Amino acid sequence: MRPFKYTGAQNKDQALQAFTATSHYLGGGTNLVDLMKEDVERPDQLIDVNKLDYKKITSNENGGLTLGAMLSNSDTANHPEVRTKYPLLSMAMLSAASAQIRNMASNGGNLLQRTRCPYFFEVSMPCNKREPGSGCGALKGMNALHAIFGYSDSCIATNPSDMCVALAAIGATVEVQQPDGSSRMIEFTDFHRLPGDQPEKDTTLMQGELITAIHLPKPEFSDHYYYLKIRERSSYAFALVSVAAGLQVNSGVISKAGLAMGSVAHKPWKLSKAEEFLTGKKPTTENFEAAAALEMKDAKPFEGNKYKVEMGKNAIVRALTQAYEREV
Amino acid sequence: MTKTINASGVGNPINRVEGHLKVMGMAKYASEFPVENKVYGQGINSTIAKGEIISIDTSEAEKLKGVLKVITYKNATKLKTFDEEMPELATDSIAPVLQSNKVHYYGEYVGLVVAETFEQAQYAASLVKFEYKKDPSAVIDFEKSKSKAYTPNNDSNYSRGNMEQGLSEADMVVEQTYNTPIEHHHPMELHAVIASWDNGKVTAYSSQQIVEDAIVAISGTFQIPKKDVRVISAFVGGGFGSKLNLDRHVIMAVMASKMVARPVQVTVTRTQMFTNTNMRQQNEQKMRIGSKKDGTLTALSHETLSHTSTTQEYQEPCGMVSKMLYKVANNEVTYKLIPMNIQTPFAMRAPGEATGSFALESAMDEMAWKLKMDPIDFRIKNDTQTDLHEERPFSSRLLVECLRIGADKFGWKDRKPEPRTNKKGNWLIGYGVSAASRNSPYQKTHAKVILELDEDKVFATIQMDATDIGTGSYTIIAQTASEYLKIPVEQVTVELGDSNFPITPGSGGSWGAASYCNGARAACENAIKTLKNNKNIAEDEEVEVAELLKKNQLTKFKAEGMAEPSAEFKKYSVFSFGANFCEVWVDKDTGMYRIERMVNVGAAGKILNPKTAYGQIIGGLTMGVGMVMAEKTRVEPNFGNFITRSFADYHVPVNLDLANIDVIFLPEVDKIANKMGIKGIGELGITSVAASITNAIFNATGKRMRSLPVTPEKLIEAGLEEGVTA
Amino acid sequence: MKDIDKWNEAVDSDNLSDDENMILDAMGLNESSRRKFLKQVSAASLSIYASSFFTSEIFASTMKDLPENTIALLNEVKVNLRVNDMVKPLTLDSRTSLLDALRERLALTGTKKGCDHGQCGACTVIIDGKRNLSCLTLAATCEGKEITTVEGLAKNGEMHPMQQAFLKHDGFQCGYCTPGQICSSLALLEEAKNGEASYVTEDFKKIKSGLTLSEEEIRERMSGNICRCGAYNNIVQAFKEVHTGDDEMPTWEFATQEQMDKAKNA
Repeated sequence: MRPFKYTGAQNKDQALQAFTATSHYLGGGTNLVDLMKEDVERPDQLIDVNKLDYKKITSNENGGLTLGAMLSNSDTANHPEVRTKYPLLSMAMLSAASAQIRNMASNGGNLLQRTRCPYFFEVSMPCNKREPGSGCGALKGMNALHAIFGYSDSCIATNPSDMCVALAAIGATVEVQQPDGSSRMIEFTDFHRLPGDQPEKDTTLMQGELITAIHLPKPEFSDHYYYLKIRERSSYAFALVSVAAGLQVNSGVISKAGLAMGSVAHKPWKLSKAEEFLTGKKPTTENFEAAAALEMKDAKPFEGNKYKVEMGKNAIVRALTQAYEREV
Repeated sequence: MTKTINASGVGNPINRVEGHLKVMGMAKYASEFPVENKVYGQGINSTIAKGEIISIDTSEAEKLKGVLKVITYKNATKLKTFDEEMPELATDSIAPVLQSNKVHYYGEYVGLVVAETFEQAQYAASLVKFEYKKDPSAVIDFEKSKSKAYTPNNDSNYSRGNMEQGLSEADMVVEQTYNTPIEHHHPMELHAVIASWDNGKVTAYSSQQIVEDAIVAISGTFQIPKKDVRVISAFVGGGFGSKLNLDRHVIMAVMASKMVARPVQVTVTRTQMFTNTNMRQQNEQKMRIGSKKDGTLTALSHETLSHTSTTQEYQEPCGMVSKMLYKVANNEVTYKLIPMNIQTPFAMRAPGEATGSFALESAMDEMAWKLKMDPIDFRIKNDTQTDLHEERPFSSRLLVECLRIGADKFGWKDRKPEPRTNKKGNWLIGYGVSAASRNSPYQKTHAKVILELDEDKVFATIQMDATDIGTGSYTIIAQTASEYLKIPVEQVTVELGDSNFPITPGSGGSWGAASYCNGARAACENAIKTLKNNKNIAEDEEVEVAELLKKNQLTKFKAEGMAEPSAEFKKYSVFSFGANFCEVWVDKDTGMYRIERMVNVGAAGKILNPKTAYGQIIGGLTMGVGMVMAEKTRVEPNFGNFITRSFADYHVPVNLDLANIDVIFLPEVDKIANKMGIKGIGELGITSVAASITNAIFNATGKRMRSLPVTPEKLIEAGLEEGVTA
Repeated sequence: MKDIDKWNEAVDSDNLSDDENMILDAMGLNESSRRKFLKQVSAASLSIYASSFFTSEIFASTMKDLPENTIALLNEVKVNLRVNDMVKPLTLDSRTSLLDALRERLALTGTKKGCDHGQCGACTVIIDGKRNLSCLTLAATCEGKEITTVEGLAKNGEMHPMQQAFLKHDGFQCGYCTPGQICSSLALLEEAKNGEASYVTEDFKKIKSGLTLSEEEIRERMSGNICRCGAYNNIVQAFKEVHTGDDEMPTWEFATQEQMDKAKNA
């Protein structure tokens, strides 16, 4: 690991003031410290923001909840309000990593989790995300874990977060502190970006901005929810494909659907077409299959990840079915 | 005289005698010994698969605070190198490193940085700049390099009878190819060493399975006398074959320690565990089986294509099992190797049987299905009490008993022979079985016993250079001493893992338990015999050891002993046998599956301690589950590196992947194997699990999974086997 | 009453047997160092391993601030590390992980390095009551935190019931993942008490405190601790026994003569 200066910030102002172009904020460190050990991330200063007072869960004006950015993933997923009103979020968060990592990982940090693309991790390999201009090793290499939607020639990596898939399905807003002390709101679907020709940028955060909160809308999917995570082993593994499904069903008709997929694109992949298709329809297998087909027809897999199309379709149908059939 | 109540001799499920040290965090593994003044070494790896180093810039690294030395081929100590081309990799092979500018594979050590702190050593290692001239002829793609395969000399072509005639006599033929990938052992303890020099002598706290071979390798590589090398391996955090031989980080640490005149600790990183410790190689196994309608096997051939490195040779004996497991007159077993620019593979748990049984026992299941015969009946039909390959009887073979007793316990009669007929919700349920077999190569072993009389109690200390790699050596040796000295196990101390102690074959190849315990037994028996002889006491007279010491007017007495295979042993084939039964639930849409339960039956001679033996069986089964579910080291097709380079990419089983496992030991008495009747059990478990799971997956889904691992994407993409009703 | 509850209630007891006192006398331990030593090792098991090879190492397991060559430290940070109820002021390189601080500076090598990247759980320690990975925790961030390692679990010379259960059920083989498994298990007992959910929990809305975990729940929640020796089933049994207070039975057996005869003559 390269040398860095450790700065413990006691409050927001100290954190923002200490920030320089080559600094990183340090949350739980589960991803950042790992990547520093791998020589992928090379900050010369870490600003520890763990003492900042963003650890609460409060009600917000939309009738939803606001999650503090520095609260741990496990405390968030197990908060009674989250568990009862946003069980889809709890389920997705609890599918991630291990208990130990969830205890450490912060909500803000989870939003900034970087890809698991093996070319990104191995510094002797080409990777445009890690080293712009060096090329994409995965494009003509091993791409079993890579994107089938929204990629570019310069990057075909996927976003590995589970939490973010649920947030995309639920619809959230990210609040950030700007270096000048003001704050701004970012729609969740705009928070992560597609690689384009700047794959080094995972998000639309500006330099020095600090995530302080995640605002959830009023709860809509507390009865019908399921987070399906398909992976190589039954636990403690990243998804091959995942689906967050939330349904609101009134008198046998879907009044609202929240759907997103993970591990298929550079960002959590919101299934807007399927959501729209399902709204006003009956929760039948036929409709679920039609919704899945509608989304998956746009998939453009590589040699190594063709399986994701069939798996993705099955996963959407299964997640919707499980969500609908859940005993209320 | 009071009789000693001996409730802790062999056969009893006592707790591990060193267990409290492990659960309290006090067992000392190689890198944990408090060696004063130590510094840290960090190995540097090549980033090309083949070529030459054309320049090295160490200046930036050397400038750093606390950096003591940067070692590359330019300033490394001259070591012994190989005398011949492509020597066979053995457990005592020399391990030359940093001897030239040639690079033979991606990840080969090209340097070592020594620094005052671990942090600086790691950082400095990243600052040493190597410029390479890449050789485009690197062989990194197995599939594309098959034409380069050669026939290794070692026992590569075997046949008996006439294969083609056997096939022509068959009513049914199965011809299929089974693939197993590169796998890594990945013991939880990272390979580590602390090496130091004192008065021209080397001491290495090193994580090794075979202490004696480690000192042979160090002395051979540095060309120094064996007596000047001491290796201590008191606790080994898992081995599975990866610590059988001496890996090059140990040589680098010894070299560096001499150069900086300080003890040097080198801990291999988890990523380096892929490139710089052992691995199991990829195997392509082509099976041809012929059978009569009634299930009589007429022909069996097993052709293995795998790879070795471009510097040393290793051949995993995958076909061994096909030579001896079933009664078949016409039999062929062949091997071919592709020299590739990947490190040299080496033995991983049950080398040969783990992968070979997967191929054979899958093919047997395929044949049984084609014959519409129960897979257990089919195997029993072809049982043999003679090893047709060695042309000698088995010392004891209870395979049929294993299959039948297991079938009863498991409820095999409830199995639905037609695939896809046992369903529950989204789950397809299947049952599978596989036979298990593993050679029990008991070996020459020395041991020392020290008896001390304290009032009326005798305390015994056993010393051997044996290792306990989690296998329970400390415990079963203590139990053996307790048994043969007739003292409670609490009065026995076992000291292992020090090359100053008497020589043993170390841990590996399922030979540990039989060798260690018979060695310890011999030492204890010698002690008692000598004490009796001194006082003219008849050998068959029962006298307590305390009484013997008193009669000899001794408070302390030492004796040595040696055990080795008898002449009788060599007239037989000595194997452990077993069977594994598996119930698997496959999700029909997602390709995920779970192992619901397993029943494993083993006939492995005398079970010294059922508690630790159970651990060995479930440990083998767990590793076999990994082999089926996810374990695969992938070679990057353009660069030749392992693209799976961490525990996040290479998935070993987690707790939730496992399920209830019932283990039944058969009460086998095999006095031919050795005096104590011990056979090996450490590898038996893994030999049967892969095929039992894939056979169960076929029974559940109608899909034949002939290429491991069976990942969700493969299950989704696989089609139904011909003849299966959807 | 569960063993663990009894253990928790157990009062400070220095009542050693004569044998145990003898061993400790022989080791030259007086009153205060004796108590310190007993915190580290169960006296009941002393006789087996009170051999020359290990005793010195056992003492090395007490917290000892090994000298740090400060000329090699970059971006020095000063941290008061509070481990197992003892506080040690350390000067560290900012890059030092809690894991390396424990192992290389405090000689607390019970906490293991299995991957150094948060992918195996061998380095699990308890920080402020929660299980954490010490390899991804920078020591610099630990000022004011309460850290418990495997060395700090025994009380008054008696192993924690979880340690005893791991020993009884052979919840390990090589022993390398064991400290992490045990720390993880202890934290899990608390998580169950608090009614925390897991991915395999049937209904996130109905979960209550004081959970009795099913086997599947235990397996899922212990999946962050890899055991390559494959002792998972024994680990589950050890955990269950402490968690429920009910004895867990071994799942191995010997075939009977009747079974053998039947199989032979079928």
